Amino acid sequence: MSKKINLNMTTVENRELRLGTIIGWDGSAKDLIRQSAYDERSLKKHGGCPAKGQGCRLCEIQSPLNQETMCSNAIVQCQIGNLTDCVLINHAPIGCSSEDAKFNLTMHMGLARRGKPQQNTLCISTNLLEKDMVFGGSAKLRHAIRVAKERYNPKAIFIAMACATAITGEDIDSVAEEMEPEVGVPVIPLHCEGFRSKHWSTGFDVAFHGVLRQIVEKNPKKKQKDLINIIALWGSDWFTDLLKPLGLRVNYLLDCASFEEIRQASEAVATTTFCETLGGYMGAALQEQFGVPQIDAPQPYGIKGTDEWLRAIAKVVGKEKEAEEFIESEHKRIAPKLAEFREFFKGKHGMVLTGSAYAHGLISVLAELGIKNEGALVFHHDPIYDGAGKNQDTLKQLVETYGDIPHYTVSKTRAFQLPQLLNRIKADFLIIRHPGLASVAGHLGVPTFALGDEHIPVGYDGILRIAEILVGVLSRTKFNKTLQRHVRLPYNDWWFSQTDPFILSNDKNVFKDIEKKLEEVI
Amino acid sequence: MSEQIKKKPTVISNVRYACAVGATNTVVAIKGAVPIANCSPGCQLKTTAMLTFENAFQGSIAAGGGNMPSANATENDVVFGGIKTLDSLIKSTLKIYEGDLFVVLTGCTGELIGDNVPDLVRSYQEAGYPIVYANTPGFKGNNLFGHEEVVNAIIDQYVGPYSGEKKKGLVNLWFETPYYNQNWRGDYQELARILRGAGLEVNVLFGPENPGVEAWKKIPQAQFNLVVSPWVGVRNAEHLQKKYDQPFLHIPEIPVGEEATAKFIRQVVEYAGIDKAQSEEFIKQEAEIYYYYLEHFSEFFAEYWYGMPSEFAVTADAAYALAYSKFLADQIGLIPKRVVITDNTPAKFRPAITEYFKNNISEGVSIDVDFEEDGHEVIKLIESVEFKAGKPLILGTSWELNLANDKETLFFEISTPSSETLVVNRSHIGYRGALQFLERIYSASVGGK
Repeated sequence: MSKKINLNMTTVENRELRLGTIIGWDGSAKDLIRQSAYDERSLKKHGGCPAKGQGCRLCEIQSPLNQETMCSNAIVQCQIGNLTDCVLINHAPIGCSSEDAKFNLTMHMGLARRGKPQQNTLCISTNLLEKDMVFGGSAKLRHAIRVAKERYNPKAIFIAMACATAITGEDIDSVAEEMEPEVGVPVIPLHCEGFRSKHWSTGFDVAFHGVLRQIVEKNPKKKQKDLINIIALWGSDWFTDLLKPLGLRVNYLLDCASFEEIRQASEAVATTTFCETLGGYMGAALQEQFGVPQIDAPQPYGIKGTDEWLRAIAKVVGKEKEAEEFIESEHKRIAPKLAEFREFFKGKHGMVLTGSAYAHGLISVLAELGIKNEGALVFHHDPIYDGAGKNQDTLKQLVETYGDIPHYTVSKTRAFQLPQLLNRIKADFLIIRHPGLASVAGHLGVPTFALGDEHIPVGYDGILRIAEILVGVLSRTKFNKTLQRHVRLPYNDWWFSQTDPFILSNDKNVFKDIEKKLEEVI
Repeated sequence: MSEQIKKKPTVISNVRYACAVGATNTVVAIKGAVPIANCSPGCQLKTTAMLTFENAFQGSIAAGGGNMPSANATENDVVFGGIKTLDSLIKSTLKIYEGDLFVVLTGCTGELIGDNVPDLVRSYQEAGYPIVYANTPGFKGNNLFGHEEVVNAIIDQYVGPYSGEKKKGLVNLWFETPYYNQNWRGDYQELARILRGAGLEVNVLFGPENPGVEAWKKIPQAQFNLVVSPWVGVRNAEHLQKKYDQPFLHIPEIPVGEEATAKFIRQVVEYAGIDKAQSEEFIKQEAEIYYYYLEHFSEFFAEYWYGMPSEFAVTADAAYALAYSKFLADQIGLIPKRVVITDNTPAKFRPAITEYFKNNISEGVSIDVDFEEDGHEVIKLIESVEFKAGKPLILGTSWELNLANDKETLFFEISTPSSETLVVNRSHIGYRGALQFLERIYSASVGGK
């Protein structure tokens, strides 16, 4: 059965239900490709009927131990909270807003990268207290909406649901509907409470869902034939250089965007992204509901990926000839530098620890540089993306182009597994996104590169940019060796002696000693 | 209730504290203690991001940060109860972590769905595991409140009953909330150094000089509890008074500079009733060194003719707003133009703090302090100050950065959040810290950072 994106509902179906996302798996990348059955799932998404048993639920390892991690509400803060002229109200106790300062810094960095004026984030917490849990927080929410209007005179006001308000049953949809006429701008409910999805990336879908429902122009009067949507975060503007030869201007969504930049998304000629995990929902919805085609191509990483991505875009805008010329000249331009770097990185091993589709892109870049990847850690695996395009199976493309990854692990920010993950492979450095892991891995004698500007590895120059940075990262091994010599992680000898990172899930007898102690008391 | 909301907006922009469940960081500040966060995904990353990262990038240690066990509640837990998830989490934490004490902190989700955490934790306590629980949902209070909850939970469930002797000269140091002020580690060290120099035996419960959980077991043996803060920790000291019949000395002002520190030492020594010879000798030695440096500094202060600040505004928690204002107004002669306290100081402590700023800050200096948690209003309060002479100084948070740039003031971050400051080991209190504080202010006025 084909499942279309439903913009009539205020809620988004979770990734685990919509895409079959998992957060625990261990094996080879080849095996995961086989089990994921992308083609069958794609057929299903497009209304076809695969053979029985194909494209069913993926096996998933459940972990009894989890650690500090991100949630969908945080993702909404990082997306909607970084719009320049819209307000995000977190309808929650104050703790849910305690990452505001971090996203404020991120926004300052992003604005600087994009050449926009500096400003603070426009966020409000309803600061719910115990009495609001008992008597309800709607009055406070209405008040917050009025305060938002008065303080910031925004183009739109978003309301983010949190765990506490979802459990107490706050009706943010009704309040939004009721308040919209009074404040005269869209008031947009976002159902992004942290417990609702096991993976934070559902938060991206929730944020996009909100803007698709209430901001993106439903009946565009004109088409902007030279405008292309790039679903991104706060990365530097390197897409402009890549797409100028095709006569295209970029429209970055959502971080650091204005209301108008979001509104015009339906006027664009196409949509693409730096990461299918992040951009898949928005791209698919713009295609299905607004007729803006989503580029069905590999992601723009490594030489082959970038070539094919450019060709797919060129086809949509009728610039095939220009694309071929550009591709040829770019190959020539980067070749001497690339050869130098390949020599430098000879025999080096790396490991990527990031979200799923982005990891596939990054590993391609490392492979282009001749760096071997014996292992990888992705924080989730989506066996299919919303667009389900024929050419969007990012993991398959990675393996087909650059070879298998024997130790391919899916695990959501479980730092305690790092000793085992690193012991079974060679790695001279790690590239890590998402906070919490890099500092832990850094204790194990390996230098880590916290990749904040997500556009660094994009395109032809992206390969060289990553190479230049890695030269410095490798040199920092000295710091990590010092740390390793003197500082120990908080785990016991038994844990360090284990080889299976999922032993707590895989060995049924692992808690016998503790259980025995507990039983003795009874 | 709705009346109250109409009267005073209680919404908050530009947030300056985390919620109660952020007190996992209080546990991290005890050597060998492991927090077990019984909350939703996101809770720990958000609060920890604010306290350890966007707070002068002080970082975390041991079972803090990315190593912190967390239940990461799912929809399933919310519908069917989360106690099984917590049980698995506790078991696996006990299985693989090196720990002397485990503290379960329950956040909004666990509290609202009504999981029976006490019963579960009790079964582990009865089996001999050193584990306690604290109720720290975000809707009950901020991370300062959560800190006090955790402290009382450890006292009640881990330290336990005591009927032995008290040891004269042994003092429990109750000072600031760990990971909240950017300098808390260095400040703990400086205060402990000063108290030791004065002849006391100091039981350090948090930070670099905390020897581990054995210090907590020693709490009931102390002669008294010393609370150095306008309000944080008073609730714990009151609890200890009831529980162990242990008296406490409450000194609201963190001492900064030689005169304030000497006064502080004399007050504590007097209260402890110990011999004054050692403390007086220590005061003499420290004063000599302090003024050796201050005399050198005075050349800059007198001769530098390219301008320096004469007025300041400060926004911080009650403890540091008070400590820094007092030092700058009383020892340097900077004029306070605005003081905004942002830590949601409990109502019963506010009159004393207000009175302090009005009549006790320095001779001829009096200022009406503002209590305001909403960062938008904080910025407005500072924005509205009419600075008159020279380049003014603003001490605040990263939220004031744009304002300081617009107003072209000297500015540095002293309070949460701080994302343009990096602290490894620094103190701005006592003898040594005060001199570092001077360095920081006047480095800024000569164009440095």
